Amino acid sequence: MALLQIVEPGESSVPHEHRYSAGIDLGTTNSLVATVRSGEAVCLPDEDGRSLLPSVVNFSDTQTLVGYAAQALQTSDPLNSIASIKRLMGRARQDLVQLGDVVPYEFVVNEGSNVPRMRTRGGDFTAVEISAEILKTLAHRATQSIGGDLDGVVITVPAYFDDAQRQATRDAATLAGLNLFRLLNEPTAAAVAYGLEQDNDGLIAIYDLGGGTFDISILRLNQGVFEVLATGGDSSLGGDDMDHTLGEWIITQAEFDDIDNKLARQILLAARQAKERLTSAESAEILIEYAQQQWSGVIDRQQFDELIQSLIGKTLTACRRALRDAGVSKQDVRQVVMVGGSTRVPLVQSMIAEFFEREPMCELDPDKVVALGAAIQADILAGNKPDSDMLLLDVLPLSLGIETMGGLSEKIINRNTAIPVARGQDFTTFKDGQTAMSIHVVQGERELVADCRSLARFELRGFPPMTAGAARIRVTYQVDADGLMSVTAVETTSGVTADIVVKPSYGLTDSEIETMLRASMEHAREDVELRMLKEQQVEAKRVIEAIDTALAQDGEALLSKAEIARINQHRDQLEAAIEAGSAAELKQLIKAIESVSEAYVAKRMNASVKTALAGKKIDEVDV
Amino acid sequence: MQSPDLSQTYFELFGLNPVFDLDCSRLHAQQQRLQATYHPDRHVNASERDKRVSVQVASWVNQAYETLQDPVKRSRYLLEINGVNIPDDSTTTSDTEFLMEQIELREQVESCRHAEDGLQQSDQIEARLTQRANELAAEFVSHFEISEFDKAMTSSRKMQFVQRIQQQLCELQFELEGL
Repeated sequence: MALLQIVEPGESSVPHEHRYSAGIDLGTTNSLVATVRSGEAVCLPDEDGRSLLPSVVNFSDTQTLVGYAAQALQTSDPLNSIASIKRLMGRARQDLVQLGDVVPYEFVVNEGSNVPRMRTRGGDFTAVEISAEILKTLAHRATQSIGGDLDGVVITVPAYFDDAQRQATRDAATLAGLNLFRLLNEPTAAAVAYGLEQDNDGLIAIYDLGGGTFDISILRLNQGVFEVLATGGDSSLGGDDMDHTLGEWIITQAEFDDIDNKLARQILLAARQAKERLTSAESAEILIEYAQQQWSGVIDRQQFDELIQSLIGKTLTACRRALRDAGVSKQDVRQVVMVGGSTRVPLVQSMIAEFFEREPMCELDPDKVVALGAAIQADILAGNKPDSDMLLLDVLPLSLGIETMGGLSEKIINRNTAIPVARGQDFTTFKDGQTAMSIHVVQGERELVADCRSLARFELRGFPPMTAGAARIRVTYQVDADGLMSVTAVETTSGVTADIVVKPSYGLTDSEIETMLRASMEHAREDVELRMLKEQQVEAKRVIEAIDTALAQDGEALLSKAEIARINQHRDQLEAAIEAGSAAELKQLIKAIESVSEAYVAKRMNASVKTALAGKKIDEVDV
Repeated sequence: MQSPDLSQTYFELFGLNPVFDLDCSRLHAQQQRLQATYHPDRHVNASERDKRVSVQVASWVNQAYETLQDPVKRSRYLLEINGVNIPDDSTTTSDTEFLMEQIELREQVESCRHAEDGLQQSDQIEARLTQRANELAAEFVSHFEISEFDKAMTSSRKMQFVQRIQQQLCELQFELEGL
């Protein structure tokens, strides 16, 4: 309804008010939250001063633990302590087979749903619900630290996340009661943290080596616009592998035999500590004491480097592949940004420097860089930096297509198309009296539907029955700025809009989300319902004010008395409902008033555009 | 937010003259300016309705940019706004000479795949295709300027054929480099 508040350029309708926002890095191993404070992005620590929150959730009969407390229970209570949940976001049960041993949990699938749930002592939970627990913990940390409610958040996702994985992340935010400004690609966030958007145009490589995953992304910066050219990596390669390699070395050196789980864990822990010491020291002592077995030894940097060289070599192969996919050479890369804790290892830095023939950027804490970038973007989106020019224009990560005859995918929107984007497609009916049709949307680059990822089946229903071939059904695929797709359809000769039933192939259906939301509302400490009501009340007041202002300005000039009376009647109804009505009722009434005044809005727009553009060329108009 | 006049042409939207030879840097700059106004990120705190409008307008701007940026799409669009009925992609050319040229070009592209100096050969073909694309674009402009829209349409379609072969060659080059 802000369309009714036509504001002259340079004139603000609301006095500046600081909005609280946060950026969240929802990671596989660890998650972080950051915010912009006095113009600077900072990660927010917990009470013990730790910025990282292990992405582990433990469920028991009585409570849900998130973070270090849950991590501590991982060994003693593995089936109820869920880790690495990010790997399961937007995945169906059939996908889990590929993940193999990564996830040892017990899965159940409810009837009428294809979303796997993990069985725990506290109940069965989906990946979305478990991620929501992590988000809630981080949001709570942020509100405590900031001292106010969050107006909105930016959550980061890997650049290669498909529609289902992005949707799952968005659902988790909804479930956590967060207002999601935007999903942001992790590599783009890292580039933003370094302020690279202010730099000259060129190619940027983001090298992200975490605990268990490796990602390489090639971005192109073009006049403040970040475009992801290619992504690659290895979803099971990271710092943990270095620990394992060093652990094996220790076992060989110490000539341990009869290694049980506890000893293995101690060796891994010792290996990790030695690895961490070797980032600054030239050598590290290792001491293992367990039952009858005891060993102490020393490893120097050179020995360690030899052990892990081939691991890092694997990441370079992935870099080469990503460069080839992007159709660029490594000499074209102008900046290399290091992300992820494992990039602290000196050999990683030197091998990357050698490969790209330039020093990588690692001034910022590689664990925090993604969260910091997300916080900067959130701060801008919240409107706290009205003078900021930064705009992150994204592209669609994977092509969208529809299934055609013979199981082929016909591309509707190609990958790397700038988003948001909309495409229309005309269909007709092939049977007399046909009133429904079905569209199967898939995502991926391959020709065969079977090789792409099924996103959803849209059933379009309720167009008027006509003879075969007479109907003209215009289907519009809209991809929003987060890369998420929606479909609308209209029969153009009659103007009838089709009812659309969406059957997501992997994600949760709207009703499932609703059920979860309701359940979480019942349990939530914060009263989400009340919050929604308050939001609607604010919106209602805003609408009424806008209408009053507009009518006073030009109501009589543009509308008949009857039209004014009709708008006012709805306005009064809405006003009466502010105190007494529920959130849903208010929403309904706001919608009603919007539709009643639609024609008026259009008239005002035209009148105003005419005045504003009279005798001017576009580049003279301050757009 | 003020929605732009959705009935204007893409050229009007970008403040450019409706000609084939565009000032690309200006097109770029205008794209950034328009997105800076209409992109959903600029309307995060707006009402649901305004957010929807912003997604639609930003999509429209992206569509306009994509059309003007690509020479083939731009040529077709120029004809379209001049009232020329654009036949769909399946229409084939009846120009035998051009057909022969096409077949020859395609064969050349394919022969790189197995040739020992395939990459070098592909560079030569690439240069030839670029030259052909430029010639056809000039041909389009000469017809379009004097409102010979039918002939301009034919040039545009030829441009499209050459562009497709260019894309095929590009994919083949990646493949060859990967070996």
